[in-house]
Amino acid sequence: MTRTILPGRFSRRTLLRGAGATLALPWLEALPRVAAATADAPPLRAIFISNNLGILPEPFFPKTAGLGYELSPYLARLADHRADFTVISGLSHPSVRGGHSTENCFLTAARNPTASGFRNTISLDQFAAERIGHLTRFPTLNLGVNIDKANRSLAWTRDGCLIPPEDRPSRLFEKLFVTGSPAEVAGRRRQLRERESILDALGDDARRLEKRVSIADRRRLDQYLTSVRELEERLQVAGAWEERPRPQPPTAKPGDITDRAQIFAGFEAMLDMARLAIETDSTRLVTLMVDAFATPAFRLADERTTTDGYHNLSHHGQSAEKLAQLEAADRWQMDLLAMLLAKLAERREGDHRLLDRTIVLYGSNLGDANTHDNTNLPILVAGGGFRHGSHLAFPLDDNLPLSNLFVTVLERLGVEAEAFGSSTGPLADLEPA
Amino acid sequence: MRGEGVKILRYAMAAAAMLLPMIAARAERAPATFETLLTRTCGECHAGGSAEGGLDLDAVGFDLRVATVRDRFALMHDRIAKGQMPPDPDDLPEPARGELLATLSEALAAADSIAMNVDGRVPLRRLNRLEYQQTLRDMLALPLLDIADQLPEDRVRDGFNKSAEGLDFSRIQLAATLDAAEAALAAAIAPGEAPQPPDHYAAFATKLFSEGQTFGEREAMFFAKDGRAVSLTGQHLAALRTSFVQDPTIECCIFRSAYWPYYGYPHGFIARRAGVYSVRFRARAVVQHEGYTITPAPQSVPMTFRARRPSGPDVSGDVRAVGGIFDISAEPTDFETQVVLDAGQTIEYSLLGLPVPLARNVNGGPPTYRYPPFPAGGQPGVAIQSLEISGPLPPDPWPPESHRVLFGELPFRGTKPGSPLPVEVESADPVTDARRFLAAFADRAVLAPLAPEELAPFFAVVDASLADGVGFTRAVLTGYAAILASPHVVYLREPRGLDAVPGSDAASGSRAAYDLAARLSYFLWDTRPDATLLQKARDGSLAESTVLAAEADRLVADDQFARFIETFTDYWLDLRHVRRDEPDVRLYPEYRFDDYLAESMAAETRAFVTSLIRDNLPARSIVTTDFVYANDRLARHYVLPPLAGHAVRKVPMPPESPFGGLLTQAAIQRVTANGTNTSPVVRGAWVMTRLLGQPPPHPPESVPAVEPDIRGAKTIRDLLARHTADASCASCHKLFDPVGFALESFDICGGWRDRYRGLDEGEPVTGIDRAGHDFAYRLAAPVDPSGSLPDGREFADIKAMKALLAADERQLARNLLHQFTAYATGAPVRFADRPEIEVILDATANAGYRVGDLLRGLIKSRIFRGLPPAAATTTSEETPS
Repeated sequence: MTRTILPGRFSRRTLLRGAGATLALPWLEALPRVAAATADAPPLRAIFISNNLGILPEPFFPKTAGLGYELSPYLARLADHRADFTVISGLSHPSVRGGHSTENCFLTAARNPTASGFRNTISLDQFAAERIGHLTRFPTLNLGVNIDKANRSLAWTRDGCLIPPEDRPSRLFEKLFVTGSPAEVAGRRRQLRERESILDALGDDARRLEKRVSIADRRRLDQYLTSVRELEERLQVAGAWEERPRPQPPTAKPGDITDRAQIFAGFEAMLDMARLAIETDSTRLVTLMVDAFATPAFRLADERTTTDGYHNLSHHGQSAEKLAQLEAADRWQMDLLAMLLAKLAERREGDHRLLDRTIVLYGSNLGDANTHDNTNLPILVAGGGFRHGSHLAFPLDDNLPLSNLFVTVLERLGVEAEAFGSSTGPLADLEPA
Repeated sequence: MRGEGVKILRYAMAAAAMLLPMIAARAERAPATFETLLTRTCGECHAGGSAEGGLDLDAVGFDLRVATVRDRFALMHDRIAKGQMPPDPDDLPEPARGELLATLSEALAAADSIAMNVDGRVPLRRLNRLEYQQTLRDMLALPLLDIADQLPEDRVRDGFNKSAEGLDFSRIQLAATLDAAEAALAAAIAPGEAPQPPDHYAAFATKLFSEGQTFGEREAMFFAKDGRAVSLTGQHLAALRTSFVQDPTIECCIFRSAYWPYYGYPHGFIARRAGVYSVRFRARAVVQHEGYTITPAPQSVPMTFRARRPSGPDVSGDVRAVGGIFDISAEPTDFETQVVLDAGQTIEYSLLGLPVPLARNVNGGPPTYRYPPFPAGGQPGVAIQSLEISGPLPPDPWPPESHRVLFGELPFRGTKPGSPLPVEVESADPVTDARRFLAAFADRAVLAPLAPEELAPFFAVVDASLADGVGFTRAVLTGYAAILASPHVVYLREPRGLDAVPGSDAASGSRAAYDLAARLSYFLWDTRPDATLLQKARDGSLAESTVLAAEADRLVADDQFARFIETFTDYWLDLRHVRRDEPDVRLYPEYRFDDYLAESMAAETRAFVTSLIRDNLPARSIVTTDFVYANDRLARHYVLPPLAGHAVRKVPMPPESPFGGLLTQAAIQRVTANGTNTSPVVRGAWVMTRLLGQPPPHPPESVPAVEPDIRGAKTIRDLLARHTADASCASCHKLFDPVGFALESFDICGGWRDRYRGLDEGEPVTGIDRAGHDFAYRLAAPVDPSGSLPDGREFADIKAMKALLAADERQLARNLLHQFTAYATGAPVRFADRPEIEVILDATANAGYRVGDLLRGLIKSRIFRGLPPAAATTTSEETPS
């Protein structure tokens, strides 16, 4: 039997409180400064993006599959990065139907969002954060553009609570780069101390109990004690982050775009913030929902304003005028994605391009907003060190669960997960390079 | 620490050595005669690297002290006993077969008994998240506490969320437990210095819908006066809503479900604060005819409320059903209920089973919503006349009972807005008071009394918090949180308590009594023992099996037994998956968005299982009864004479009906189908495992599943016939396919069918479904429900097969005991438990193995009471000293 209990109370913590304590914990090596000094590859990160009205399927999906596929009109905007992304067709979340109601399920795969008693489930980023969130100052960052924060988010807690997305670049900047007020810092520290004190008691109590039970019971209590110890370590990390100064801001504080007609300028600003957060290793998990649904008539790249709000436009009913405007909007999104990939590819981290260490997932809960179709979702995966360059085509009339891709993403992030959402296994066709 | 481990190990070895040395010696290793015979008979296929069926005798070895080896041999024993192995029975003729089984059985039972004597039957078991929530609800007097979903979903093992081996503990579990405990404590404390008066909202019909009309146009909703729609423009409506004088004869008539796209809540009501709201409304059931006229409905219409944010159409969010279901009848009636709302939520009228308009965009226009055609006799709906809401209802008494649990009668005062706590409790002597309250709370939270030194770690928590200057209230709550996350609360112990280590604890006897009380209560109520049961543990009377059985009867008769029914059926019968797969609307348009059907079928099965136990029905009822439980929706589904109302009730069935018994219930058919088609393999294997207790062997890894053909060209039977033409496939498939064949008479939702449906082949059927969609499917090949059981008995259809299955009552009863045992004790029936199970079966045989008797029999058994198997006790009594 493996004994996992620490030799005595406080020992680890006492150690930690000394100078240079962080080195005492092996997984603390992943802290940014330490990481730079190790020979290991830098950590993997992920940015999950969804536009809740999706994009037009016709100009997005390539007509041919496989490595030598022919770029679609939309993907031609990303031609420079062809070797850095994979486009996937034939994915959707099983039993996640009900038009727009599925928007909050994009990263959760929670079934039947319109049924009575529906409660959302944990989102992909939060699930990953349970395992790797402690390695950075912010376990995740959840962002939104034009977003109705009370009702929409890609990020959901285990118990199905909405995590309101941050929609102001300036506030995000402060969060990332500016230390809070002394009172806030003191409050956070006090909370950590309370938890530590509780964990001390639980460890004591379980060890006392352990002396009087059978071997089989002891094995169960060992699990409990291991949990106490691991959580103590996590709290130490959180405490260490409180002591650690925030990174120097790489740019000046951005302004906020409050005009909702400027949806794509807002999208660009948020992509920049996501990239800064990743670059500074402030977090390794970012979600970003572009709330097209809540967007009124909006500005296109040529400064024209659309004739309709985004939602009405999306129900184009094959009207040529509406389709033309939607295509212009979609092309702009593709260009912004291309810009993000270019910046991530430019930036180097040791011997690696930051892009090769950052998974970028772009998609939508709607396969076709015109008909409220929630199958055949548009999905694009870039970076993250996968072997890219092909169009993975799964059956359009019998979709593969999108959660299979999520399992693959989790594996790549180093998060053990046999399953996520409605997965039936990993997406075997997407492999690390 | 290391010393402890060695000490316990030494004890374990000593305990083993105390038993009859001969038996102990035999138990260590399978007997030599057995080893020889087994190797000779089975070695050809089951030894060496290429061993078949994943069984390699060389690798398994013969050391019966190892639990996994015992499990392996138990499986071998059973497969040989059932005649499944060796494949050619002549390879192991009698009497060798009988001797082999007898020897193995004796050795296994002995080895298992010794293991149980040393380690107990079940290790510590963590509470699952439902149990933890219910425990905190009862402990803190917070019946509406909602924390289960903050905890990770529990793993399922041995079929249930109650398995000691499956309920692991992890860092994430611990962090979530602390969060949940803190959330519970925050909910328990008084919400302010004084109770706040409730908000009131009252509305006549014109305010009962957020807009003048909804999707699906007037067919879906209109305002009516004197039985006829009145046209109200937005201006009209606004004027009416603000007018001082209201016309009480106007009604708000709704003819669509609250399914997406949403819309349908009162104008101008949003809960400002979270809490319980009282809702009163006056409504009647109506039927809409052409020309937007209404007449009283011949049948009631079921209605409920859903809590959600009023965020406009097409938007998702939490959708929670609250307040129960009401049968709205033709006569205008006042209804009253209570709903739980979060701040910012409103209530949405949810009319169950009504149509959902289909969204379309005609010629590039904005979305319009097509309302499906009326059924013959008009479209049923509800006309609401008035609505009153008030809340949050102030706690009664004040301060709330939950607050008294935490802080007794100490005075408290409100805090500034924005403070982390709503009140500060005042104490003149914080250190003494904190310890006093903590000790009292521990006494309430932990069943068996804690010794003073066991309280010390928790005192340290409050002392540290007080020293940190957080104040009395927060310091005490921090200590409480520690107790609620401690092993005393989160783990259940087998009733043996500590007596596996003789003399280690003077109180061992009484501890075992508390553990027995807890086992009974978590079994039947999913929560800690109530005061009555706890008293019987304290005074020791629970040790008498008559007292134990009487307590079991009391718990079964109580309303709280509903929690057993829900959890047990959620897992045993997979009812938690009853909504998992949406029906494929290409083939089954009639089931589109029919949440009410899913709800009704689950209600039927739960009512039926309740009746099995409370009405003490014979075990054969699993397969067949002369009644079903049905409501209005199920009466249509099963094509029975019409019923009114949502409540399921017992309905007698004629002898020729295929329905009656658990086996043919709609919920069973639905959880064993995938939404598109049925598979006799999947259904058959499920029924064999769950209902008959004869799980089929695992399928070989390399064989792909047989995929049904939805074009309609080939029946699943044709496809399977090809698969099972191979003898090695057939040998297993014959064990479970036949039951599945007979159940092919039921579609994916348990409706009767004579023919399969397909998309490409067969006679076309077209129409418009209940959500306004055009549909077109085809009636394809007829269903062939005939087959023969493994023993050769043939059946023509489901009726005939039921008769065959019902004959083996003892096996049906044995399976129930196995299911109850795994659920109640956290471990499946072990090899050494088997004789005790047969004892219970013998005792209940004469009365026809009645389910209530079986349950009571198990509770009184050595298995449930945590006593070592009878045989082993006898053996140790015979041990010469």
